[in-house]
Amino acid sequence: MKQKVRKILIDFDKCTGCRHCETACALAHITEDSVNPRFSRIKVFVDLEKGNNYPVISGPYTDAKCTSRGYVTIKGETFDTCTICRAACPEKPFFFEPGTEVPLKCDLCGEPPDPNCVKWCTSDALKFEEVEEEVDDVVNE
Amino acid sequence: MNGWIGKILRVDLSNSSFAVEDLDPDLAKDYVGGRGLAEKYLVDEVDPTVDPLSEDNKLIFATGPLTGTGLIASGRYMVITKSPLNNCIACSNSGGYFGPEMKYAGYDMIIFEGKAPEPVYLMIKDDVVEFKSAVDLWGKPTDETEDLIRAEIGSRWKGREFRIASIGPAGERLCRIACVINDKSRAAGRSGVGAVMGSKNLKALVVMGTKGIPVPDRNKFRELVKASIDKNRSDVAKVTAQALPIFGTSVLVNIINESGILCTNNFQTGVFPDAMKISGENIKDTILKRNKGCFACPMACGRATIIKDKKFAGEGEGPEYETVALMGASCGINDLAPITKANYICNQLGMDTIDTGNIVACLMELYEKGYLPEKDIGFKANFGNGEALVKLTTMMGLREGIGDVMAEGGYALAEKYGHPELFMGVKKQGLPAYDPRGVQGMGLSYATSNRGACHVRSYGIAVEILGVNQKLDPLTSDGKHQVIKAFQDLTGVVDSSGLCLFVVLAEGFGVNDMVDMLEICTGAGYTAENVLLAGERIWNMERLFNLKAGITKADDTLPPRFLKEPMPEGPAKGLVSNLDKMLPLYYEIRGWNADGVPTPAKLSELGL
Repeated sequence: MKQKVRKILIDFDKCTGCRHCETACALAHITEDSVNPRFSRIKVFVDLEKGNNYPVISGPYTDAKCTSRGYVTIKGETFDTCTICRAACPEKPFFFEPGTEVPLKCDLCGEPPDPNCVKWCTSDALKFEEVEEEVDDVVNE
Repeated sequence: MNGWIGKILRVDLSNSSFAVEDLDPDLAKDYVGGRGLAEKYLVDEVDPTVDPLSEDNKLIFATGPLTGTGLIASGRYMVITKSPLNNCIACSNSGGYFGPEMKYAGYDMIIFEGKAPEPVYLMIKDDVVEFKSAVDLWGKPTDETEDLIRAEIGSRWKGREFRIASIGPAGERLCRIACVINDKSRAAGRSGVGAVMGSKNLKALVVMGTKGIPVPDRNKFRELVKASIDKNRSDVAKVTAQALPIFGTSVLVNIINESGILCTNNFQTGVFPDAMKISGENIKDTILKRNKGCFACPMACGRATIIKDKKFAGEGEGPEYETVALMGASCGINDLAPITKANYICNQLGMDTIDTGNIVACLMELYEKGYLPEKDIGFKANFGNGEALVKLTTMMGLREGIGDVMAEGGYALAEKYGHPELFMGVKKQGLPAYDPRGVQGMGLSYATSNRGACHVRSYGIAVEILGVNQKLDPLTSDGKHQVIKAFQDLTGVVDSSGLCLFVVLAEGFGVNDMVDMLEICTGAGYTAENVLLAGERIWNMERLFNLKAGITKADDTLPPRFLKEPMPEGPAKGLVSNLDKMLPLYYEIRGWNADGVPTPAKLSELGL
């Protein structure tokens, strides 16, 4: 069935790699008076070779053997799917809380949801919008 | 401490040992951080008469209290040492992600002493500090160095956690205009700090940190950061801050050319007929791949570019305004391909693009006037020769052929061929791309800058040409001494805080904004009064170091071209620089005597 959901949409082409989203997220979730992007649930992976920036929002943790590692070619440019994978996993040392090593997952912060990363994005790479998409009949967690 | 981490890492390269020291809170407050604080350490610990390339010189990597906090454009770190180019106190500033990472690793400053017996690089992972051999990395360009270090760290993901600042072959060969490159294309460019790193056999500094930066109240701090971002979107910053994302800093090319002060053919004139071809507008239409920002920067003035022209093919970052103006207009070159290629080479070899442009332009004038024979160069090097620019840039970085002379700096080159007046520089450092005849305040700014000719010690252009917050007449020298002094003091604070100068120059932030940001981040008790006093203190401290290092009033001058040859065309036609009128007034409001030496009364007021 089709359903309207609100999602954070990412436009990789617009991202300049400023990482304001990381600071925004970290400051919104951290419980002590400090700034530390390691507490962020969004991370901009900067590809220094191509100059591309990939903001990635953390999804659920997975330690199962990964099957999605590979490369996709879009318009002649090859991308590493591992870079844009949302999972916190043993391979990638990101999306883990420093000290406790608890995996971090985006919680679409705000009540109703109004994610801080989107509010702070200065390049319009992140947008919080309603989209219509196919969902399973089973209720998502 | 808040804002500051409160820790300094002191590394003795001679013995491969290190120690962690506490930062004195009072000292930190008085000298703010970064530039000011690190220079205080340098002044206290290094004899001003020391040979800059000897092991007695020290090299300091420093961050400010605002670096890495996420405040607007808070991604800066600085490299402080005594300059091998001109013996002045050197502070080079760079962006990217390196500075913030150094702070997350838990250090405000890293001080390097001595000299490693053989090439090493230093790896810092929070509290773990390791010396690693860089014998295999020696001779490698900066981008390859980063790749090899990341590969050595382990899986590519582990490697991607680290930020790297390194030198290229130019720094290793003690080229006096060598810079430190971080994140592959960001440069702590001026004053030859890379040569000092090379002289210490230090190839790279590799950092990764997981710690936070303490702030007094995170909710108040969040509001502050949000306000600083919103200000960027407001009308105040409309013209400047919004032009930067679209066209990059090269948006200036046409503006500066229309003002008749675009350095053309080694500053022989201020009007470049082909300015449009090297402008930010043309970069956007032709070679631009995407905009690139430093940490926490909404302006993203960096340009990731690609050159498809077979002769100059390449991919990388740049050029920015100073580069296109000096490698382009000043060398008479109207084609972006060779300019951008030379920029890539500078990034890879680790050289300052401003000085490279100046030195090549100087060589071209020497060649055209017949003072420098073609046999010494090996090929034709006339103005407008793009291939010559690319070849000469490589030769300089590798010290091959005539490049060996060029690597000693433009002044040394011009002097060797009997015409030192043809090198457009102050205190042996090349002039940035604004002709001081048509923008009088900048002339004073160049002449009095504590690190030699420089546009980021007080950017008079912001008020004289661009009209950020106020607009002054660029052609008159009236009152410019006050403007330049005020800018110099404010710049000292902005640099030291760890913010990018563009917050003042493009976003229109003033003293009160700086006080707010410093106060909310540190809670150290900053006021408008003591912030400006700190700026003045930093400036005078630098001046004292330079005086002891042998710099005199006679060095506070401009090349004879700007003082004697009237501008031949354009809006500034017929003008020369009125430096002789401005300089005594400037000394006076600085509280310096007629020889440019700070008076005892001034020094006691500043607590020096």
